[in-house]
Amino acid sequence: MLRTTSKLAHRALTASVQARAFSKDFHDEMAPIVRNRPDAAKKSLEDFVNPPGPKVESITLSGIRDEVMDIAGIPEEHVIQRRARVFRPAREATQTAWNNTKLWKIELDNRERWDNPLMGWSSTGDPLSNISMQLDFASKEDAIRFCVKNRWEYEVEEPKERQIKAKAYGANFSWNKRTRVGTK
Amino acid sequence: MYRVPQLTRLATTGARIVTSSARGQQTAAAPEKIEVFIDGKKVLVEPGMTILQACALVGVDIPRFCYHDRLSIAGNCRMCLVEVEKSIKPVASCAMPVMKGMRVKTDSPLTKKAREGVMEFLLVNHPLDCPICDQGGECDLQDQSMGFGSDRGRHQNQYDGKRAVEDKNMGPLVKTSMNRCIQCTRCIRFANEVAGVPDLGSTGRGNDMQIGTYVDKFFASELSGNVIDLCPVGALTNKPYSFMARPWETRKTESVDVMDALGSNIVISHRTGEVMRIIPRMNDDVNEEWISDKTRFVTDGLKRQRLLAPMIKEGGQLKQVDWEEALYVVARKLRQTPADQIAGVAGGLVDTEALVALKDLLNRFNCENLYTEESFPTVNGGGIDLRTNYIMNDRIMGVEDSDALLLIGTNPRYEAPVFNARIRKSFIHYNLDVGLIGSPVDLTYDYDHVGTNAKALDDLLAGKGSFAEKLKSAKKPMVVVGAGVLQGPQGAALLAKVHQLADQLRSKQSDKSWKVVNVLQRVAGQVAALDIGYKPSVEALRDGKKSIKLLFLLGADEASVSRRDIGSDTFVVYQGHHGDAGAEIADVILPGAAYTEKESTYVNTEGRSQKTLPAVQPPGLARVDWKILRALSEIAGKALPYSSIQEMRQRLAQVAPHLTRYGEVQEANYLKQSMELTEKSSSAVNAELKPAQLELADFYMTNSITRASPTMAECVRAARKHQQNPHIEQPKRHTAASAM
Amino acid sequence: MASSLTGLGGRLAVKSGYLHSLSRGFAATAGAPAPEKKPEKTTYGPLKDQDRIFTNLYGRHDYRIKGAMSRGDWYKTKEIILKGSEWILKEMSASGLRGRGGAGFPSGMKWGFMNKPFDGRPKYLVVNADEGEPGTCKDREIMRHDPHKLIEGCLIAGVAMGARAAYIYIRGEFYNEAVCLQEAIHEAYQAGYLGKDCCGTGYNFDVFVHRGAGAYICGEETALIESLEGKQGKPRLKPPFPADIGVFGCPTTVANVETVAVAPTICRRGGAWFASFGRERNRGTKLFCISGHVNNPCTVEEEMSVPLKDLIERHCGGVIGGWDNLQAIIPGGSSVPLLPRSICDTVLMDFDSLVAVQSGLGTAAVIVMNKQVDIVKCIARLALFYKHESCGQCTPCREGCSWLNKMMWRFVDGKARPSEIDMIWELSKQIEGHTICALGDAAAWPIQVSASFYF
Repeated sequence: MLRTTSKLAHRALTASVQARAFSKDFHDEMAPIVRNRPDAAKKSLEDFVNPPGPKVESITLSGIRDEVMDIAGIPEEHVIQRRARVFRPAREATQTAWNNTKLWKIELDNRERWDNPLMGWSSTGDPLSNISMQLDFASKEDAIRFCVKNRWEYEVEEPKERQIKAKAYGANFSWNKRTRVGTK
Repeated sequence: MYRVPQLTRLATTGARIVTSSARGQQTAAAPEKIEVFIDGKKVLVEPGMTILQACALVGVDIPRFCYHDRLSIAGNCRMCLVEVEKSIKPVASCAMPVMKGMRVKTDSPLTKKAREGVMEFLLVNHPLDCPICDQGGECDLQDQSMGFGSDRGRHQNQYDGKRAVEDKNMGPLVKTSMNRCIQCTRCIRFANEVAGVPDLGSTGRGNDMQIGTYVDKFFASELSGNVIDLCPVGALTNKPYSFMARPWETRKTESVDVMDALGSNIVISHRTGEVMRIIPRMNDDVNEEWISDKTRFVTDGLKRQRLLAPMIKEGGQLKQVDWEEALYVVARKLRQTPADQIAGVAGGLVDTEALVALKDLLNRFNCENLYTEESFPTVNGGGIDLRTNYIMNDRIMGVEDSDALLLIGTNPRYEAPVFNARIRKSFIHYNLDVGLIGSPVDLTYDYDHVGTNAKALDDLLAGKGSFAEKLKSAKKPMVVVGAGVLQGPQGAALLAKVHQLADQLRSKQSDKSWKVVNVLQRVAGQVAALDIGYKPSVEALRDGKKSIKLLFLLGADEASVSRRDIGSDTFVVYQGHHGDAGAEIADVILPGAAYTEKESTYVNTEGRSQKTLPAVQPPGLARVDWKILRALSEIAGKALPYSSIQEMRQRLAQVAPHLTRYGEVQEANYLKQSMELTEKSSSAVNAELKPAQLELADFYMTNSITRASPTMAECVRAARKHQQNPHIEQPKRHTAASAM
Repeated sequence: MASSLTGLGGRLAVKSGYLHSLSRGFAATAGAPAPEKKPEKTTYGPLKDQDRIFTNLYGRHDYRIKGAMSRGDWYKTKEIILKGSEWILKEMSASGLRGRGGAGFPSGMKWGFMNKPFDGRPKYLVVNADEGEPGTCKDREIMRHDPHKLIEGCLIAGVAMGARAAYIYIRGEFYNEAVCLQEAIHEAYQAGYLGKDCCGTGYNFDVFVHRGAGAYICGEETALIESLEGKQGKPRLKPPFPADIGVFGCPTTVANVETVAVAPTICRRGGAWFASFGRERNRGTKLFCISGHVNNPCTVEEEMSVPLKDLIERHCGGVIGGWDNLQAIIPGGSSVPLLPRSICDTVLMDFDSLVAVQSGLGTAAVIVMNKQVDIVKCIARLALFYKHESCGQCTPCREGCSWLNKMMWRFVDGKARPSEIDMIWELSKQIEGHTICALGDAAAWPIQVSASFYF
């Protein structure tokens, strides 16, 4: 009932065309719902990395980072003994999209995991084991800065860029080239 | 297969066949770039590129199913439709070449509507069994239907039903669930173009179109596993991995493969300390995007036959002991044995760190008897002192630039399947001419069979035969000799001949960086071992030439040294990860780590050093190899000066700086010196060049890990059975012998 | 059978003035082309007997070379060839001939695309004789009764585009037609009209017959090319167009049988003669195949732009049950949208006027449906046909056609909901224009129109 009243209120407010669309979907449960936000757009990576609007001046805290680590109380085995790998992940071979390859990540040296006998879940004694899954960096420098701050040793692995070579559909039917390899 | 009818038809019409085409030359010369607009963004692209590629240049990912970067264009899934200004219909961006001033809208209502429509059609007959589908979580259809599809389906499933397709049996590696197939034909194109095995095709038409092998047979390719990655849905999945794990619950570790000497880049998926599967990682310089079946399906071999604890033989029986005891026994032997009676033998899977540590350790005891199982001629052309002699100087990538390739005594199809795929790519796309000296094997492409005997090299040197002409006129010829045929006593002479031929070809080269001579190694550790200074071949240990009282086998599992060779009183220490031939003769076993369990360096056949990362911990009491050796050195009283991986790496850099320049190839120089040291001999080398792996069944089990793998055993069985299949026809390849 | 046909032809051979008039026409155009503009016609049809191109459409005469020559085929072919490619193209352009296979592309222009400098590749003419469009039976009549027209047309079209050979891709079911055609080709070779030094002109030209295997989609030009190459008949994307990369990767023109077969007559009688029929941009004569609910279904040669009603009333003895009993007409084979009764009264049978009423001339296969038929079932039957003939290559057609088919039969059975009428219209819009070839469009159109008129 609540829905109906809100519908009615809505009808009073909106243009008749839209209202008809609403009432139709109310009556016919199986009818396809027309998307009522045609302007819905996928946000690009750029929107997150550099969000539109006024830029906030970044605050540089010089000298502070060392002190932070001194009093942070993180056990030494997670500071000095850790080594970080700064990298951009390779494209998943099983999928074709490239969006996951655009951000830099940090991966710490991999420590032991085991099958937890209680539930069969994966257990680990490493509190930092999720670093590579959770942290994204817009640039290599950001990632390095993070490592320095945490006093991790790091090494940077430069990504393997893909090469885009021109390809033609007509090559499948070429008369004198070996590209005419097969049919589908 | 499909070329034949074409040529005969042309012949019947009496058409003139001209070998060089005007169009071909047009594409070769690159004119200036043209300007197109993607969503209003200007981009300069090479002419001949497709809209989809132009979009990729500006980072716009067009959804696609049938298009794949490394396959030919099919244009049949219609998912990549985009709006192009002044075109009434949406255009398939994967196949449409860019035109000057073209304005593409990848996010317009028309484009969105087209995608939504195609997506709806794809889902009409796609079973919604994502919860039990192995592709779930890494499925292009799943992702793209979220991104581009409608929020509900209109299909009246209760009335109209869905298509049901019988599953096909493609052998022990690829599991099929053909209900899920969306007929993108990627697998077919992969089989035809990359694998060169035209086993897959489509039958039926319309909604009854099916992908399959037509007759029930094994997808007999050494690269078959790649169709699993290519399949955008869950129609082709990994059979040994089926129902094992979900992609979001596995961890991924980027690593390097050691099944062959290419060092294919891989990603190891693991969960709860167990390697689940291995998938390729893109690296255009090495493996593009492919890996061989051995690389991919070896995972279960990593869990079987493992050495879990140190063992000592007592009264003919191996008995489990703790590390202290084992190391103490070995250290005592090490101290007691005179230096010239100690020897170390390294196997093909050993990482560089362990190699260096073993060498350092034995050197501290004044022992220089360090050998590799894999042999290589040492006498001619500076032998292993000059790096040019044993690496692939022109790189794997070089095949794409090369225009004539001579393979000597190698079957790259099984020795380095991904390299063979690269040769096939060059053969197809860049008109590479291939010649082969050695057993006439099916390489998946046409080649001139120059001969089976090494004597054919002399004919080439003398410029006899049609392939000699091709080599001579080639701008960038490449000679690749398999390490397998260099093993025997004739190896040195053969290598000298190869150098002679290469020198002859090189003398005409204007590009001096092009080295022509290349060696295709068979095992992953060999180049590093030779770089460090191991002596190739264990010949010196055989037949009691040397009286060895302490033999240290570091992952040596190819049974190159047997008990008979060394005598029963020799104390044999085996350090490695699998209970194979080496452990069989050992008095002490020190359990080591496999390549998925340690951070280590491998140098591939081109001399590219690459790093593996530990995905899981070594099982049981097993430890990382160099650390075992380090511990041993300390107990033996001569502690090695490195105790962390960083210090280890510093030592590596001391030995050879290129070992720690990861991902790069250190170019080998001293080619001239090598030539000066090569003994010129006019007498022919009389040796039948027969690679060890001739057919598919030979491919699967080549090292201790693969020998332990039930999946690989299954594959061997399937490959053998496949040969008995009356329905298979070997594809006809045109070799020079049959062409002439 | 062939001999009986010959006998029949001999008995019924009519001594007419065709040959005479033909030669006169040829001479006249060759001598002085008339440039003065005639006033445009306003009424079209009926076609006079002396203006018929296919004079043995009904097989009453001999189909062999003797009979064909008596009807004017192979007459002065040498002279036409020697006039050269440009002259032929000029005549074709002047005639205003548009492709008879359905799309109606101007033939003169299309053949002219082949006139590119030689780049090492031979050029080919491919004749599309894969006549599978439901309701169409015109090419078949040409091939079995007048094959020499087609063969001569191949030669002339081949000369016009500089082709090395012609492949006639004939529908697999047309066994007898293929036999007649092959026999005629054999005769032409024997007579020296084909092969090396055709007709003594020094031009080398071969004609091959290739039988299809019974797929409707192989009538699509690129699918036909694929099939001719020995592959599965699955259409290719365009570009590249066949004129750039066609059969065996060489420049190719695919032309309909009728288009090719009228070329010799156009060359002999002049483009201006051909252009004297029909409306502007829709010139010439055309074979119409009328089937369905008419008293006398037939294939007839008529002037273009003949009114649909005239065509049915004059040649087919009217609609069964009278014109008022008419329900709908599909004017150009199953691939074009149907016309409801109201439009049929006045529409002219040509490309432009049918496009103006949201249909198309297609292959000019007129399928008449009177009020006896269940129009929904008719459309469902068409949907079944397209579902069966979809090649399965591209998604919208593969999945869409079978979905439409399932829905249509539910409509027939009355198991659908009213909201699905809008849905089927939308679905057909999702197929249309999104596929590689036009089969998706063809499958969508009948349903779209019937969804808007009849449901």
